[in-house]
Amino acid sequence: MSERPDLGKAMREALPVYEASPALQAWAREEARKLDKDVSSPRESRNGALSAAVRRLSRWPIAAGLLIAAVAGWGAGSLRLSGRSTSPTNGITNELVDAHVRSLLPGHLMDVESSDRHTVKPWFTGKTDIAPPVFDLSDKGFPLLGGRLDYVDGHTAAALAYGRRLHKINLFVWRTGPNEPADGSYAVRGYSMLHWTNGGLSYWAVSDAAPSELEAFHDAYTK
Amino acid sequence: MVSHADKTVEVAHADDPQAGRFERAVLPHLSAGFTLAMYLTGNKADAEDAVQEAILRAVRYFSTLRDEDARAWFLTIVRRVCFTAYRTDRPQGADMVSIDAVGPQLVDSREQPDMAVERLHVQQRVRDAIDQLPPLLREAIVLRELQSCSYVEIAAVTEVPVGTVMSRLSRARARLADLLHDVVDFGDVA
Repeated sequence: MSERPDLGKAMREALPVYEASPALQAWAREEARKLDKDVSSPRESRNGALSAAVRRLSRWPIAAGLLIAAVAGWGAGSLRLSGRSTSPTNGITNELVDAHVRSLLPGHLMDVESSDRHTVKPWFTGKTDIAPPVFDLSDKGFPLLGGRLDYVDGHTAAALAYGRRLHKINLFVWRTGPNEPADGSYAVRGYSMLHWTNGGLSYWAVSDAAPSELEAFHDAYTK
Repeated sequence: MVSHADKTVEVAHADDPQAGRFERAVLPHLSAGFTLAMYLTGNKADAEDAVQEAILRAVRYFSTLRDEDARAWFLTIVRRVCFTAYRTDRPQGADMVSIDAVGPQLVDSREQPDMAVERLHVQQRVRDAIDQLPPLLREAIVLRELQSCSYVEIAAVTEVPVGTVMSRLSRARARLADLLHDVVDFGDVA
């Protein structure tokens, strides 16, 4: 019998150490650079934070739930996050950005891949309680790529994927709630968002394209 | 031009001049996080999802990282994601990767054949022994010996006091010593 290794050596020889895949590394680097670029710029307007705080008063059970989750999940240190993670608007916008980022991972963008709105729209029937209006906006520079179901802010959302040159735009649609954030532009972690409501539906367009592109998209979609 | 400000010097020495604070602090630990996720979730797909989710959370909560150890901080997030998202809905026992399934075969081709066989046999016994440890002991010993974490780091990652870490490690070593003392040198413990 040769000399016995110590436990560390024996474990390192016997047990695998894994390497994150190149795709995962590239994606993480991209996320990191977005944050690093974003870190000095203000995330959301003071008005947004204020109105969120006011709204929070009227829905304290949810705010309390978030707070409990934050404390349970992250310990006392998370309280330093102040209003950013506990305000309802920030919660939704952060979740939307997460959903958008997830959708960009390989194979996640679409459940139904089609530029034909007559294929995409019926696909949602029976999968959500809403019928999102589906338009192909190719002639306005926003080709319809497809649709999928997503889960945001505690409910199912219909998500329509549109292209804009090299960018993707996700349009999330669900039924309006009692505490609808104000219509308008939001920016979170380097992503642009545009929110509007119409006909009992709440719309959130999310993209890494410039805010002006989302406004053009809104014009094209709502025309 | 070398600046007197530490931060500037640090940036100048970074591998990639474009890399920002998050990238330099967290990304070097991506594979450590992935390895931990592999041991906690038991499969590659869940481990990748967990690390993705952990990165998203890390981005969101990066402002809470002060002067702490970024690796321990990131591993803590990975572990939390694994436990909340992938652990609770799994039957007991299926929640950790079976080490048997994935072991590398580290054999030096210059070795005598019987030596190589002997070595494979030892590696298999080490995997079996680690597999038999209760999950919390296994997690501690894997972080210690495989990821070279300090006691303080393991305490941070697993969210228990350092004393608990030390007792888990010594219990893990004692159990492993029972099983492996003839092939592994445990020093004073054995």
